Amino acid sequence: MEYIVIGVIALLVIFVIAQYNRLVRLNITVDEAFAQIEVQLKRRADLIPNLVETVKGYAKHEQGTFDAVVAARAKATSASSLADVAAADGAVTSALRGLLAVAEAYPDLKASSNFLSLQEELSTTENKVSFARQFYNDNVRQLNTAVKTIPTSFFAGLAKVGAREFYEVENAADRNVPNVKF
Amino acid sequence: MAENNFRALQSANKGKTYFLLASMGALTWLVAYAALTYFGVGTASTMVPMAVGFALIGVWGSYYGSDKLVLTMTGAKLITREQAPELFNVIEEVVIASGLPMPKVAIVEDSAPNAFATGRNPDHALIAFTTRILEVMDRDELQGVIAHEMSHVANRDTLVSAVAATTAGAIAILSDFLTRMMWFGGRGRDRDGNSNPLALVFSLLILILAPLAAMLLKSAISRKREALADATAVSFTRNPAGLRKALEVLASDTTVVRQQSNAVAHIWIESPLDGNTVSKLFSTHPPIQERIATLRAMESLGPAGE
Repeated sequence: MEYIVIGVIALLVIFVIAQYNRLVRLNITVDEAFAQIEVQLKRRADLIPNLVETVKGYAKHEQGTFDAVVAARAKATSASSLADVAAADGAVTSALRGLLAVAEAYPDLKASSNFLSLQEELSTTENKVSFARQFYNDNVRQLNTAVKTIPTSFFAGLAKVGAREFYEVENAADRNVPNVKF
Repeated sequence: MAENNFRALQSANKGKTYFLLASMGALTWLVAYAALTYFGVGTASTMVPMAVGFALIGVWGSYYGSDKLVLTMTGAKLITREQAPELFNVIEEVVIASGLPMPKVAIVEDSAPNAFATGRNPDHALIAFTTRILEVMDRDELQGVIAHEMSHVANRDTLVSAVAATTAGAIAILSDFLTRMMWFGGRGRDRDGNSNPLALVFSLLILILAPLAAMLLKSAISRKREALADATAVSFTRNPAGLRKALEVLASDTTVVRQQSNAVAHIWIESPLDGNTVSKLFSTHPPIQERIATLRAMESLGPAGE
């Protein structure tokens, strides 16, 4: 009889530990996923000055476009909360799209090797940013489901893990296009 | 049912693999039972563990060292970022989408477009591409191919195929031993077996047909893992069109990878063996047109693939 009681208690303890660990693990994965977004956004921000200079060399009269990109970048580097980062991220994406549209009109620029390698760097970084967002949101979805469904929901308070915010870029179209074509 | 989004496809293919692996287990059990009925406890209790042991020894090495072994078997050469920066960029994109560690990357000098993934776990993963596939595919298509290969890594398909190969191997060894023993009158030495004639005929049939059934199951498992990898690839890229176009390129190309070794046929994205001579049931891959049709159905579900 004692063996059965001990067995049941042991199973219960293992069950609670498993639920607790699952929640904590999901929460850590979300943190890591957000850090990955930030890494990629930083990479993109670092590419911008070089890109603007290169385009400037061929297209001097597009000051408005350059200013928009530089302003969006400045805003993005100062953003800290998740919502601000996401909003600034969307603004940089559309400003960059404007810059590359301008570049289309300058054949010499498009042919320059410097521009071509920057363009490759930018398009891969843009893809990485969007995959990092997707990975983050998938993990937030898993975490939020776990926080709200039985049995993990019973242990959310104990594990001090709660539902997290999705990373939503303003323009919904940006989210659905992982492959940016320039 | 309109259940063709990648999540439904992933769980369906996983379920089918479990069922097939369980069937493999049942088949092994049947063969052991046949050995017991035909030859009695003495023979069965030495032969069954021996066959499983031999199969394990044979498969374990190739599973554990799969990343290194396959390099020598296919002639693939490891490359660094500097040698193919664009390829590495696309791989890094998929790595971020999958949340897996960065795999080792290799190139195979070959005029057929193809690719494969191997390695015993995500930390020892290796993905390889033929020189030709890098020439013929655009960025989107290559992304689809890489996502398919990374899906094999994510789904631990080296382990799944090692388990399938071990059981199929054990069954083959066992049935080979036992049928030989039969010809040499093995039953005379070990008389404690069952002597019900019906049970004897049944066990004999099992012993003869089991290796064939095991081969079929092994191929079926491989096909389900390919279909699963296509679905998982879409969960990474959310772009079924990329992989679909890549498969169309592979389908339209008639050159096959030079090393037509059966031993490593299952690891390539497109079967390197000639589709006409290998019958559908023994094929390690689902028909490419079927894979294209499945991906096309996912495309019609909308931009997010859900």
